[in-house]
Amino acid sequence: MNFPKNFKYTKDHEWIELQGQIAKVGVSAYAIEQLGDIVHIELPKSGTTFKAGESFGTIESTKTVSDLYMPVAGKISEVNQAALQKPELLQEDPYQQGWLVKIALEKDTSIAGLFGSDDYEKYLRESGS
Amino acid sequence: MATSTSDSQKTPLYETHLKYRAKIVPFGGWAMPVSYGSVLNEHHAVRKDCGLFDVSHMGELLVSGPKSLEFLQQHTINDLTKLSIGAGQYSAILNETGGMIDDVIVYRVASEDYFICVNASNIDKDFHWLNTKSKPWSQRHQVQVENQSDSWGQLAIQGPKANLALEPLFGAEKLEDFQYMQIREVLFRGQRCLLARTGYTGEVGFELYAPPGVLPQLWEELMGTSNLSGIKPIGLGARDTLRLEACYLLYGNDMNEEVSPLEAGIGWACKLGKGVFVGSEALVAQKAAGLKRQIFAFKMVDEGIPRHDMLAYSKDAAQGTTPKALGMVTSGSVLPTVGGAGGMALLDPRHIKVGDQFYVDIRGKLKTALVVPRPLYKAKVK
Repeated sequence: MNFPKNFKYTKDHEWIELQGQIAKVGVSAYAIEQLGDIVHIELPKSGTTFKAGESFGTIESTKTVSDLYMPVAGKISEVNQAALQKPELLQEDPYQQGWLVKIALEKDTSIAGLFGSDDYEKYLRESGS
Repeated sequence: MATSTSDSQKTPLYETHLKYRAKIVPFGGWAMPVSYGSVLNEHHAVRKDCGLFDVSHMGELLVSGPKSLEFLQQHTINDLTKLSIGAGQYSAILNETGGMIDDVIVYRVASEDYFICVNASNIDKDFHWLNTKSKPWSQRHQVQVENQSDSWGQLAIQGPKANLALEPLFGAEKLEDFQYMQIREVLFRGQRCLLARTGYTGEVGFELYAPPGVLPQLWEELMGTSNLSGIKPIGLGARDTLRLEACYLLYGNDMNEEVSPLEAGIGWACKLGKGVFVGSEALVAQKAAGLKRQIFAFKMVDEGIPRHDMLAYSKDAAQGTTPKALGMVTSGSVLPTVGGAGGMALLDPRHIKVGDQFYVDIRGKLKTALVVPRPLYKAKVK
């Protein structure tokens, strides 16, 4: 399974890709495989603010609904309409076309608490995944 | 996300499922394959070609003896006097208040022998109930109830090409003139199996009861017909979406011991005219008083996927007033063949009918749904 090196990851299997003060947020290939077919996602509107760790939407497979948690604090600057229309993009391409939201980071936000790709893979191994 | 299946019972095909890269989940005390990759692809494979399901968790009871017919007439809702040898019928076992202990298929496999397929989670409960009730009948072996669940594994072969999967194993002549709901004996490697023209998908298909020891070989030989039949392994995830589109009930979701067969929409299997049976008086009273809840099929109008236990509300309340509770969703999902999302709900028929809209409370948001005629997908079983 592929985990891009330049991304950061959470224990809840979200990823972020930092581009200056904007971060793209998505769900890791591991989580997608666990969920199976993604059939519906719900995302907030642009302009909504979130604290780190706050639920910002849901991802739904044929059998389960899971909350999505914001890896970092900030304000939603863009929502991936293509993913809302076509949730299977998350399965086909979880790191590029399957992103969920872009978030403008709150000032002085630290991403130090997030996993790098190696640590995330180690976390998956240790949690018996 | 990972849930332990270490305490769960395993079917004879557990290793086979791992080999076929199944994702295993706990289900009713069993470690079962939920999918072999994609629930949606599996769903479509059954509608288009053929699917192979391990349903060995299901239970099997045998009721036999000279008085077995009279006994079962009193303890199941359908009329067994119409059943010839080799035929089966959908039925249910009720408690005294008319609630469903289980929904079952009863097959007459010999003159005085009735083979009953019961739900996995209800095996012990059903056996105990029928066995206890049979005590007054058990003198001189007039009625015996036997739990044969450990002696049978079960496969389901479902889809328009199911015949093509079975013919190489049993011979085309064994499958000729095989009517819906019939059961016949077949041999696999010299072992007696029971093959029924039944299913839980809304497609033509078969359910095959076989001794646990031959199940892995049986599975592989059926999979070996894939060039002809297109057969693919199917997990419980697609089994659920398939049965939901066909509006087949799932025990524990759509009904339980509090829900009567009239409320569950299987009044057609409930032969009140056949004479008194356990639960019949309660059903007669319920019918006279009028039903206060009933199973309806519905499709979502708004975005969102309904799920079991979500609450349903009336849509006709004036703006700003609290919507009136109508009941609850009993099963909900995406509907891969029908399109969109929908399911079944137990709603108050005094306040809603086919063609009406209502609200489903999806995680705090009221989303509009439309009551449609059952089934969502018309079964092609015959």
